[in-house]
Amino acid sequence: MKLTMWSMLRRSIAHRRARSLSALVALTVSAGVATALLTLYADLDAKLHHEFRNFGANVVVTGATGASLPLDSVARVQAAAGADATVAGFGYAVATTDRGTEVVVAGTDFSAIKRLDSWWSVDAWPVAGEADAALLGQRAANFVADEHAVKLVYAGKTVTLHGVGRLRTGGDEDSRIYMPMAAFTAWTGARVSVVEVQVPGGAAKVEAAIARLKTALPGLQVAPVRQLVEGESRIVDRTHALMYAAVLLIALTVGVSVLATLSASVLERRRDFALMKALGGSQRQLMGLFLLEALVLSLGGVAAGYVVGSGLAWAISEGNFGTATLPRVGVLPLVLLLNLLVAVLAAILPVRVLRGLQPAALLKGE
Amino acid sequence: MFFRLLLESFRRQRRRKLLAGVAILLGTTAVTAMLALATTIGDRIHKELAVYGANIVVYPKADLLDVKIGGMNVKPATGGAYLHETDLEKLKTIFWANNITGLSPELAFDAPLAGHGEATSVPVLGVWFQHAFSDALTTGAIALHPWWKVSGSWPTAANQAVAGAGLARRLNLHVGDQISLGSAGTAVTVTGIASTGDAYDAKLLMPVEAAQGLAGLPNDISRMDVSARTKPEDAFARKDPDSLPAAQREIWYCRPYANSIAYQIREAIPGAQAEQVRRVEQSEGTVLERISGLMWLISAAALLAAGFAVSAAMATAILERRAEIGLMRSLGASRGGIAMLFYTETGLLAVLAGGCGYVIGSGLAAFLGARIFAGDGPVVLSTVLNPVLLPVVVGLAVLVAVAGSTPSIRTALRMDPTAILRADA
Repeated sequence: MKLTMWSMLRRSIAHRRARSLSALVALTVSAGVATALLTLYADLDAKLHHEFRNFGANVVVTGATGASLPLDSVARVQAAAGADATVAGFGYAVATTDRGTEVVVAGTDFSAIKRLDSWWSVDAWPVAGEADAALLGQRAANFVADEHAVKLVYAGKTVTLHGVGRLRTGGDEDSRIYMPMAAFTAWTGARVSVVEVQVPGGAAKVEAAIARLKTALPGLQVAPVRQLVEGESRIVDRTHALMYAAVLLIALTVGVSVLATLSASVLERRRDFALMKALGGSQRQLMGLFLLEALVLSLGGVAAGYVVGSGLAWAISEGNFGTATLPRVGVLPLVLLLNLLVAVLAAILPVRVLRGLQPAALLKGE
Repeated sequence: MFFRLLLESFRRQRRRKLLAGVAILLGTTAVTAMLALATTIGDRIHKELAVYGANIVVYPKADLLDVKIGGMNVKPATGGAYLHETDLEKLKTIFWANNITGLSPELAFDAPLAGHGEATSVPVLGVWFQHAFSDALTTGAIALHPWWKVSGSWPTAANQAVAGAGLARRLNLHVGDQISLGSAGTAVTVTGIASTGDAYDAKLLMPVEAAQGLAGLPNDISRMDVSARTKPEDAFARKDPDSLPAAQREIWYCRPYANSIAYQIREAIPGAQAEQVRRVEQSEGTVLERISGLMWLISAAALLAAGFAVSAAMATAILERRAEIGLMRSLGASRGGIAMLFYTETGLLAVLAGGCGYVIGSGLAAFLGARIFAGDGPVVLSTVLNPVLLPVVVGLAVLVAVAGSTPSIRTALRMDPTAILRADA
């Protein structure tokens, strides 16, 4: 039976199962924590930007001083802004209620608003087919005689709308009455005058979308809702930086602890080291053996840790953001590097310490 | 004898203690920093989210209907109801007064303008700029609209005003211009041009007292924006408090939902209607929840990592000292006595290293907070150390250190002393 490096390695790991296992566990924990944190970190921006979609439109397209926009504006805006952008067109007119109060009436597409302005609190949404269905803002509803038969007059033309429910937003919408676009145009003759767009993603994507919109719709004013775009960028950037700091700190803690554990276990094998030296092993051979052992264990640790860490990241993401974070292969090289570094340091440092000691003294028991 | 052993152990075995001490130090630093950040992240993000505007709006109950398109009043309402500025003092007495982080009352009216050619009136908005509402709170329109930028300066005296960029373009106004407002021709100096990016661009902003004087409406305000720190809305928050039984109503009232703060504002200010601005509040709550949830989860991860680090280091440290245990046992020490000694050492080390870790971790959290959330104001030294964290972190450190060293101590105590003494080098 030949005494090769591999057979020594195999036996070393197999015979000291408890120690090998604890080293493996340590490396698995460090790889797992690193994987989980890095996976979450890589996905953070996307997840946060997704949350900010709830704030509604961040780009507004208007004509010159409130003039109506060309007929196919909404479709063109959607095409230019991109398939993942949410677009809704609005037309406004000032009508008079049967109580003599002036009220702003808005024509719109209810299905688009449902996606764009998800914070609207509505008793019931109008069904697609109803031509005269209307939503009454809660303040406007107080100035209407009968909510189910809302009589409005615009430029001499009367229309009777069927109020499906009240709308509560705490904003300007509460003072308006919303009706389907087709009926609005038929009654007032006014078309879409404002198109609101929600472009997902950070400031860069919004800028790009605005540039595309300006090229596609010359002559129209395209403006970002400045505070939304700036605010979103700032918050995402800051959370990003915070998480980066957290990852560094935790990686450092775990790394140092694994280093401590592994190097201590190597130091414990002083007598093996002394014996091998006494039997004629060279410094390089011994260093090589310890190094190899550390590498094998760390590879095993990374493999197990990657699985555990990805699972942990998935669970945290599900629990916190409600959407899954899929395992990222790109994280693996970084985790491998980290673990290998730690393992190599853990193997080399103690060996250098032991180098100075005399084998005879060690074997004698000093 | 016990104390001498303890003391000598710390004096002579510094290297061994160092490794375990460093592990505990790093662990407690990480945990303290993460916890300190996680507890303050809520406030910080709320401040950041202030860019989205106020989350509660207050207006007179009997108000006429706003006729606004794109934020512009198309047919300005004449007359209408107003709230009283002096009633705002009552906000200091509501249950959730300390959660109110900003107030911005406004008085909107059209003032006649003389000497500017075709333009005969100007939409004026009387606001607070930097109003000391209470000892702790200086607030106003600037605080509630942090995205406003002004070239020039904000008004500091009654006869000064800032023109929105759109208005300035329309009337060809520049910084330092004088305009004549009101029926009495009051001279007002334009001290700045504000770029607001929203409906305020077309307005002339001036101090509310001056506006009230010009409009002939002393002590009146037409609406108010309120920014409050709220708890994200859940199913319970949406209930109508008047329909709840007394005990439930107490609970609803005592939770800082936007709905309950609005309810308390309605109670405090006569004639006022208050409600949450859903666009801001609904989303703000979710974003805050997600981000602070993430921070807490990362803190938990830090806790686990630190716990693992400390217990691994302790296990290793004790393992190295098996010979000592063997020697002490062969000299006649009881198992309990030895265990006591080692646990006390561990505890002491944990307290010392943990205390240092707490200080370093708090400093780190303050540093990171200042760097990342720059512009929040200078770091107040007294807030750097969170006293609640100290016992928590040190207690955890002691617990984990003791738990980590237990298996090694038990194994060592179980072994035959002679075996230990002979086998170990």
